[in-house]
Amino acid sequence: MRPRRILFILALLMPGLGLILLMIGSVFYIAIAQSFGYYNLAGESAFSLEHWAEVLGSRQFGRAFRYSLYIATVSALGSVTLAYPLAIWLRRPFPGSLTIGAVLKAPLFVPGLVAAFLFLNVISWHGIINQALMGLGITDAPIRMQNDSGAWGVVFLQIWKNMPLALLLLTGATQSIADEVLDAARDMGAGAFDRFRKVIAPLTVSAMQAALIIIFIGAAGDFAFQVTAGPTNVQSMAQYMVFLTDSFGRWNQAAVVGVSLMGLALVGSIVLAVLTRVVLKGAQR
Amino acid sequence: MYALRITSLSKVFDDGFEALSDVSLDVSVGEFVTLLGPSGCGKTTLLKTIAGFHSPTHGTVEIGGVDVTAAPPERRDTAMCFQSYALFPHLTVAQNIDFGPRQNRVGREERTQRLASLLRQVDLQAHAGKLPNKLSGGQQQRVALARALALRPSVVLFDEPLSNLDAKLRQQVRHEIRSLQRDLGFTAIYVTHDQSEALAMSDRIVVMRAGRVDQVGTPEDVYARPKTAFVADFVGAANILPVDLHAGGDRRIATPLGPLVATDAPAEDATHICWRPQDAAPVNGAVVSDNVIEGEVAARAFQGSYAELLVRAGSAPDQRLHLPPDAPQVGERIAFRLPPDKIRFVRGDAA
Repeated sequence: MRPRRILFILALLMPGLGLILLMIGSVFYIAIAQSFGYYNLAGESAFSLEHWAEVLGSRQFGRAFRYSLYIATVSALGSVTLAYPLAIWLRRPFPGSLTIGAVLKAPLFVPGLVAAFLFLNVISWHGIINQALMGLGITDAPIRMQNDSGAWGVVFLQIWKNMPLALLLLTGATQSIADEVLDAARDMGAGAFDRFRKVIAPLTVSAMQAALIIIFIGAAGDFAFQVTAGPTNVQSMAQYMVFLTDSFGRWNQAAVVGVSLMGLALVGSIVLAVLTRVVLKGAQR
Repeated sequence: MYALRITSLSKVFDDGFEALSDVSLDVSVGEFVTLLGPSGCGKTTLLKTIAGFHSPTHGTVEIGGVDVTAAPPERRDTAMCFQSYALFPHLTVAQNIDFGPRQNRVGREERTQRLASLLRQVDLQAHAGKLPNKLSGGQQQRVALARALALRPSVVLFDEPLSNLDAKLRQQVRHEIRSLQRDLGFTAIYVTHDQSEALAMSDRIVVMRAGRVDQVGTPEDVYARPKTAFVADFVGAANILPVDLHAGGDRRIATPLGPLVATDAPAEDATHICWRPQDAAPVNGAVVSDNVIEGEVAARAFQGSYAELLVRAGSAPDQRLHLPPDAPQVGERIAFRLPPDKIRFVRGDAA
């Protein structure tokens, strides 16, 4: 290919690819560079592994990392697990299916922070559930549900918010499976679970992987749900990152947490995608 | 012994449409029975009811003497070859064929034997590791057949399995299906709207119309001795005319073509006669005989081994004739004779 042609192709790609590379690449670059001591906003900029050593050696970081990994994994798996039966149910239209589908997808339009506050109204000390329990005489005093240490509130919110996305992806994928293919599996002796395991899941694996990865990345980097409804004895990585900058102005250490978060998202996504394939391959045996 | 017994089967869908009405049928072990009829006649509904994909509104289905009316498809001793083949796109040819036996927990050794034998029988050994999308339509059809046979079911159900193949391949695959059925001895229920396919493959044909069985018989019976105008018209081409049975007595009948003589004894409910286009014999010169009809050629189509003529005669609608290729041209006069033994009495109209 002649240099002029290469330049022409590059020029055509620039508006799209160039913007992506510039915007995302610059963020990556600055975060990584900052984690190694550059772009120091509170001191001298120079190459250093000190920030990595400090952050990786901190107990707080270890807890935040494990917590974010847990929230991301449970949210991704929970959302997809709940979305699958609904997607299969809504595969073919029936009276009311459009309305049900629309209602199920409604959380997509509710911003995360709003959802978290609505959730607090329901579970807080003087929230709807406690009022109802006491009003009905089931409990004498309110039950503490807010900011639970098991992070069930955050997991609930993550699944509530992300399940519609998984549903959207999986509905499209399940709808593309011909009825006759499922009938054939049934005719060959496959019951409902085997049809899912051996036909539906393998044929929708790409959508399943996309849903798992998107939800995993979003949940791993959660800030809004965590600060609103999360446990007070542990921080998510995003919360810890903000904590480092807000409380002590330690931008370089915050960058280390940010890069680690990106690494978690990347490695977690790859692991989820590979595991999905491996599990489904095993299921077909 | 019956492989399949259907008794008074009816199916009314939720929207009130009656797809099957009081259908009864007995199929012997090893028999090849074809359900033949136009689109919407209920043949696929009947097949899917046998398979268990539809539950009947009334009636029963017995397979091998066991009432399976309430059993789901996965618990029936049937296997289906679908119109679209319905192969599992993510599995190889071998995995597709092995799906049923594996699902039914057949032993590994037995499964390997079945797979090898079926791959050989459908001539797909070289394609065992390929995905279905790498195969031609004919090969995919053979995989679907092998997959159905791998289960060794009592009854194999075919839902228009050749409709997606071209004419030449269709002929080849239908011979393959028939010879496999004869070799392996399974009972086959075959759905088609193609009368030539039904005539060529079947031990018996069930002609269906509007959810009912119009006639059941051997291909020869159904073709040569249709009981209704619909069967006469649907199975092969036929000229159908209303008839007055009491016009002259002694087998003399009045038709829009004029008075005719028929050898056949009409049934009490007969309202029409029918005759096949190839049964007309051209008459040259002045022959004085019964059943000679004169008319004018209204249209002519060369068909290779014969010419198809539409002849205007009497007050009848245009009559279809298959004559040698040197038959008269459009606008010319023609005389032809209908042999009395070729005129059949039928009931009802061909609507």
